[in-house]
Amino acid sequence: MTRVQVQGVVKRFGETAAIDGVSLDVRPGELFTLVGPSGCGKTTLLRIVAGLLDQDAGSVFFNDDRMDDIPPYLRNIGVVFQSYAIFPHLTVAENIAYGLKARRVPPDRIATKVAEVGRLVQLEALLDRMPSQLSGGQQQRVVLARALVIEPRLLLMDEPLSNLDAKLRVQIRSLIRAVQRELQITTIYVTHDQEEALAISDTIAVMDRGRVLQVGKPWELYLAPGSRFVADFIGTMNVFRGRIEGATMANGSRPVVTTFGERWRVRAAGAAESTISVGVRPESLALEQGASADEDWNSLTGTVVEAAYLGAVVRYQVQVADGVRVTADIHNPDFAAIRAVGDRVTLWFGASRAVLLPDHASGA
Amino acid sequence: MRGRRRDLWWTVTVAGFLAVLAFLVYPLATVLVTSFSGEEKRFVLAANYERFFTHRYYYSSIINSLYLSTLATLGALVLGTSLAFAVTRYPLPGKAFIRTAANLALLSPPFIGAYSWVVLFGRMGLVNRALQTFDWSLPTIYGWRGILLVFVVQYFPFVFLLVSAALRSVDQSIEDAALSLGSPPRRAVTTAILPILAPSLTAGGLLVFMGTMADFGTPMIIGEGLRTLPTLMYGEFMNELGGNPAMASTLGSLLILVNTTALLAQRYYAFRKAYNVVCIQPLRVKRTSRGHLLGLTIFAYAVVGVALIPALTIIVSSFMPTRGPVMYAGFSLQSYEIIFFRIPRAIANTFGLTAGAVVLDVAVGVLVAYLLARRRSRAHALLDSLIMLAYAIPGTVVGVGLIVVYNRPPVILTGTWVILLVSYFIRHLPYPVRSCTAMLQQIDIRVEEASVSLGVPPFRTFVKVTVPLMFPAIISGAALAWMTTIGELSSSILLYSGPWATMSVAIFTEVFSNHFGTASALASILILAAFLPLFLTYRVLGERSALGV
Repeated sequence: MTRVQVQGVVKRFGETAAIDGVSLDVRPGELFTLVGPSGCGKTTLLRIVAGLLDQDAGSVFFNDDRMDDIPPYLRNIGVVFQSYAIFPHLTVAENIAYGLKARRVPPDRIATKVAEVGRLVQLEALLDRMPSQLSGGQQQRVVLARALVIEPRLLLMDEPLSNLDAKLRVQIRSLIRAVQRELQITTIYVTHDQEEALAISDTIAVMDRGRVLQVGKPWELYLAPGSRFVADFIGTMNVFRGRIEGATMANGSRPVVTTFGERWRVRAAGAAESTISVGVRPESLALEQGASADEDWNSLTGTVVEAAYLGAVVRYQVQVADGVRVTADIHNPDFAAIRAVGDRVTLWFGASRAVLLPDHASGA
Repeated sequence: MRGRRRDLWWTVTVAGFLAVLAFLVYPLATVLVTSFSGEEKRFVLAANYERFFTHRYYYSSIINSLYLSTLATLGALVLGTSLAFAVTRYPLPGKAFIRTAANLALLSPPFIGAYSWVVLFGRMGLVNRALQTFDWSLPTIYGWRGILLVFVVQYFPFVFLLVSAALRSVDQSIEDAALSLGSPPRRAVTTAILPILAPSLTAGGLLVFMGTMADFGTPMIIGEGLRTLPTLMYGEFMNELGGNPAMASTLGSLLILVNTTALLAQRYYAFRKAYNVVCIQPLRVKRTSRGHLLGLTIFAYAVVGVALIPALTIIVSSFMPTRGPVMYAGFSLQSYEIIFFRIPRAIANTFGLTAGAVVLDVAVGVLVAYLLARRRSRAHALLDSLIMLAYAIPGTVVGVGLIVVYNRPPVILTGTWVILLVSYFIRHLPYPVRSCTAMLQQIDIRVEEASVSLGVPPFRTFVKVTVPLMFPAIISGAALAWMTTIGELSSSILLYSGPWATMSVAIFTEVFSNHFGTASALASILILAAFLPLFLTYRVLGERSALGV
């Protein structure tokens, strides 16, 4: 199993830095996801790890081997591209065997291995087909098999699911995860889809404008985002500005006044009178106060401006003050939870579910 | 890593530049410089140009050339566009035949077309001699009328093929929109459809204009002394009383000037008028009245019939008993016997040199195309423009340039077959380069990266993945280069010497020696040889496209 270390990598295209000093540590056997909006540098970073692009500064290590001067064809990696990059002039079996032939594996060994991997990705019936006769999902499994059969030190996947429809995406996603777990192969996975990243990853790195903002387990990023950007990018976050009003109380909470005049208690650090940002996830908001007495319960009141009833959840947009709109998800709603547009509502959240964010627009 | 990865492609870049500089840029620059030199090789600013524009003997050539090419371009545009509209938009019978016939008409080089009209309507021509029995005669085919006829008949298929292709990519919704906004049908065509076709129309017009400007053989054979730029240039250079390279270079420079101006004007225009047309539903085939349809059918078949006359005339006349320029009714293999015994060398030369040039064109073209498509840089953009320069430069000019440069030390190529090969190679290199770059733009570069990531080094990836995927473009580029090289006359006639005459040169000299039988036999072989690869291409690519490649 391969540990991958990226140390201080910089890549410029003309004047702009596509990768602006990135360091990462990918543990052996884990599925590590780079996630971020388009243009954040995630694909560029993947291509540098693959050796398809030369960095301007910094180094990439596979275990203790420095890879900077090793061309991609000697790195022993499997790459799965967004556009599949299937060889259209070769059959499915020949596509899968391609890397083995390059490694001069004897023909009988090739046949066994192709059959083996073909079974693993459920392609055994299609080995003699030409790629043009395959569906998108089947083509994706061919390139996955082609990358896996060479037993690479590292598997790199660049938005492998983005050309598939929603249902197939979920199927192939679990196939990738199952195969990756079974073979225990270190994988770097690139996606712009935060939901996909949460579902598939051991570790996620959120990138923006060529930098890594935060690295962590999926739940760490979701529950404890370190910045406004991460909070917004992973899931949805209501963010409120406020001012600390006094000293810490016995249970560790501090009184805070929001810009729209609500008085809350949250676990904030910092000097009195300093301004803070408080984040609350839509699903942390409820229509009534919780039962727990140990918790400080905070509320905010406003007018429903949008109501979307989705069955398992009803999503309200509530106007709390001028320019302050809140999204609230009420799960498993009963009749009592139904509100109409124009209704006044009071929303509640426990202080422990509030996330304190650095008081900048973004930045780590 | 960088150095190692760039080695081979660096070599290709340098070799490409060297070839283009040595065989195209340097000879052309020499022609330009020579045009400013005097009799004693002194540098005399514009004296030759002054002489050109003050003597009617000289300046009439550029007037004739411009006049003929402009009329021919207009004629070919009208004929080609009308035929394209008739075939695309109306339910004419035998559309496939019409399209094939238009393709076939492109196979015979224009000078052979000119010769075929002489065989039919010349002084000793088949038609005129038949009419003499009734004491009739037709107006003369020689002179500017004959040239114009040949130009229009030989070049209109370019316009037809380009405009047909463009018409097939126009969406019906565009016409519908024009009609729904209140344009009557005819106005819908002129205001909505024709403007979309503008890039193809001008591209077709440019091909006709540049081709007819550069055409040397047609005015020589059917012009009867009418001076055009290429024929006068040839005459000045090859004059028996001692050639005048300075004046020949002046004429050559003017030819370059006219053609590159036309090329740049079209590029500029087409660049500004390029529309992205999304075609979901092609233009409907219109229903029309019987009379109208009959008229259109007669028109279409008359046009392609005339276009096929040259090839048919040549092949039929090659089997007729002949004495000098006079052909008699009957069947005879006499002409073929003569050429196989007397000039087998010319046939061997043509096939050998054409095959050699096409192999070189394809080998260099594939590598250069890869550079141009995949490693775009300023240097490569320059190389691209230099290679495409060959499109705009007439063969006569290339021929004169190569002779002037390579008949003196350090490198002497005149008198050898190498100089013919060089001319063929450099002049037809644009075909595979164009077809392959166009193809490469459609091949996902990730496919190559996938191969490299799987452990196959870049050059082996190029051979194992890229080249097989480029195969259709390689074949069509090779077929085009073959077709245009095999009948090449304008530079061959200057560059050949003694044993290295080609079939085109032999046909030309046979026509001028009034040996019409042997000329027809050679021309028949030439037309067949030009046709074969095209036929094979359709077969091969037909099967491959079934594989979805």
